[in-house]
Amino acid sequence: MNNPTIRNWLGFSTLALMLASLFMVFDYVPPDAEMGIAQLIFYYHVPLAWVAFASFGLVAIAGIFYLWLGDQLWDDLGYAAAETGMVFCTLMIIAGSIWAKPIWGTWWTWDSRLTMTFILWLMYGGYLMLRASADDTPQVARFGAVIGIVAAMDVPIVIVSVRLWRTIHPAVLVTKQGTHGLEDPRMVWTLLVSLTAFTLLWAWFLMLRFTQLRTRSRMSKLAGRIALATVAASDPK
Amino acid sequence: MRKDLRLELRSGESTLALLALSMLVLVVLVFALGAARMRSVDAAAGALWVAMVFAGMLGANRALLAERDNGAIRGLLLSPLDPSTLYAAKLCAALIFMAVAEVGAVILMVLFFNLDFDASMARLAPILVLGAIGFSALATLLSAITGRTRGGDMLLPILAVPIFVPALIAGVKASAAALAGAPFESMGDWLKIMIAFDVLFVTAGYLLFEHVVGGE
Amino acid sequence: MPAPVVETRSLAKTYGPAVVLREVQLRLLAGAGAFIIGGNGAGKSTLLRILAGLEAPSDGQALVFGQDTRRLAARYRRRIGLMAHQSFLYPNLTARENLEFYAELYSLADPRACAHQWLGRVGLAEVADTRVRAFSRGMEQRLSVARAMLAEPALLLLDEPFASLDHDGAEIVAALIRGAVERGACVLATTHGIPEIDGVELAVFEISRGRLMQHAHKEEVRRGGRIRSLLGR
Repeated sequence: MNNPTIRNWLGFSTLALMLASLFMVFDYVPPDAEMGIAQLIFYYHVPLAWVAFASFGLVAIAGIFYLWLGDQLWDDLGYAAAETGMVFCTLMIIAGSIWAKPIWGTWWTWDSRLTMTFILWLMYGGYLMLRASADDTPQVARFGAVIGIVAAMDVPIVIVSVRLWRTIHPAVLVTKQGTHGLEDPRMVWTLLVSLTAFTLLWAWFLMLRFTQLRTRSRMSKLAGRIALATVAASDPK
Repeated sequence: MRKDLRLELRSGESTLALLALSMLVLVVLVFALGAARMRSVDAAAGALWVAMVFAGMLGANRALLAERDNGAIRGLLLSPLDPSTLYAAKLCAALIFMAVAEVGAVILMVLFFNLDFDASMARLAPILVLGAIGFSALATLLSAITGRTRGGDMLLPILAVPIFVPALIAGVKASAAALAGAPFESMGDWLKIMIAFDVLFVTAGYLLFEHVVGGE
Repeated sequence: MPAPVVETRSLAKTYGPAVVLREVQLRLLAGAGAFIIGGNGAGKSTLLRILAGLEAPSDGQALVFGQDTRRLAARYRRRIGLMAHQSFLYPNLTARENLEFYAELYSLADPRACAHQWLGRVGLAEVADTRVRAFSRGMEQRLSVARAMLAEPALLLLDEPFASLDHDGAEIVAALIRGAVERGACVLATTHGIPEIDGVELAVFEISRGRLMQHAHKEEVRRGGRIRSLLGR
């Protein structure tokens, strides 16, 4: 996990794929017949969505493991996933907004996808605010785990209910996975490359942050040990 | 061991103040929305649910506040009491508070929005009950968390509202439909959502409460 | 030798870089009465809290009734009574209601009678139906002791039971502690000054620089009595 070689390798391959994806999006793929150039955002929006949701799932899973096993490692993972996920979720909302403007004429609209993302963003925000406003004790870590689990459980229900509530998202995305209405195979390739690139980017960020948190946890554990040893050593004999 | 609940009720002194506060929210909304909007059933349902959610948050907080005063929560933890049973008791207390607030809110809503006390009220009742259960379940669990952190009372709405959104949407839609006289079948989807939410969160609260309440 | 009621093995507790307890070895048998003295913040309360299961040790082990304090099953928690700085009482309820509630919580046979009895024992019978929020600190303390003891626990942990008490109150509590030891409970209490409790042999410990050390009680030395608790240094 902490192996710097893996991290560097991950970093470089991310860079490579991101560049490839940029090239493909701007040069390779033909623009969508209906929506023109602005549709290109799609190749970033979808991967961002995938990453944002996956990250949240990771927060929940890490939470479950933390409550079950009690090892600080899982809490660090969950926290890192929450921070990373928040970044990508924010990007996704911004990207969605940029896209919305030329297509629908407004910066924001309460359609099902955007609303869902916004709620996810609020959940992330809540989690991070909770962790930030309290000290870093095992109790607070448990709180975080519980919130992560509860919120993640809620996500499917939110999706269903929000979808029932509104649907004006363009047909390209509202259909189920697999039938994206992508006629040209080049579109499919570009999407796949983009997807992979962003997943790698996410994994890279995650690993960086996770390593940081891990180190910090280890250090505070060591501090306790050192303190014990110091006091013992200074006992009058 | 639900006797914990009885004691909650006995000590309710600030209850009246909080109930009044919830009602005030409704009044504020009425003025904010303006006379023109007040014809609509949707607005009525919306205002009702806002007041309910507000009351729910206050209620859940109160349920746990009593124990925080003299560290009584530690006393409970040390006893042979099962934390899940404690959750059930707190949930009931929050639920009762919310139910009373709901009744008051409904009365006010009928008055302000010029509706009638008729059969649609009967249809509204189960919807409100479902919503109350769901929100109380969620808020009781969450307020055990937020009560112990520095962000404190502000954090509860931030956490609770996004999570409650699906039930909120479903509840408002169903309530509006009920007030407009629609039969239960047409609200089927919304009701299913609310029931799923309730089941999910009561279970989650029951199982997770022990993690939330123990410790330093 | 019967199993100890309380046992710690190289118990340590740190809060980040601050060391509160270390190398604490303690064994107390049933029927033992022990007092821990030490300055403010020396770690006495922390030790009690760990034994009650409210906090986890940073290192080493704490066992009560042979069970790890971190995961105490309900049937063991039933036999522990803790009295701490926080009274665990509900201010908006009366004294009687508080005791009845705890009696019910511990599934005692006749909560009303039990509450009534203990109210008498701590001298609060006249104010039984007054709300706790109106109590003075000393009265609240006595009620808290009653609350801790009413289930007749096998292990009694008292954090500064004599603080804020006047002479009468202190006598009452001393008598209760004596009664508890006589019926075979294990009592561990913290205090600032060495208490005088007639008729009971007490061991006295001190926490200094995080370590637990045993003193011989004057009474014990004089009577040459049996020391009912052991300590490894």
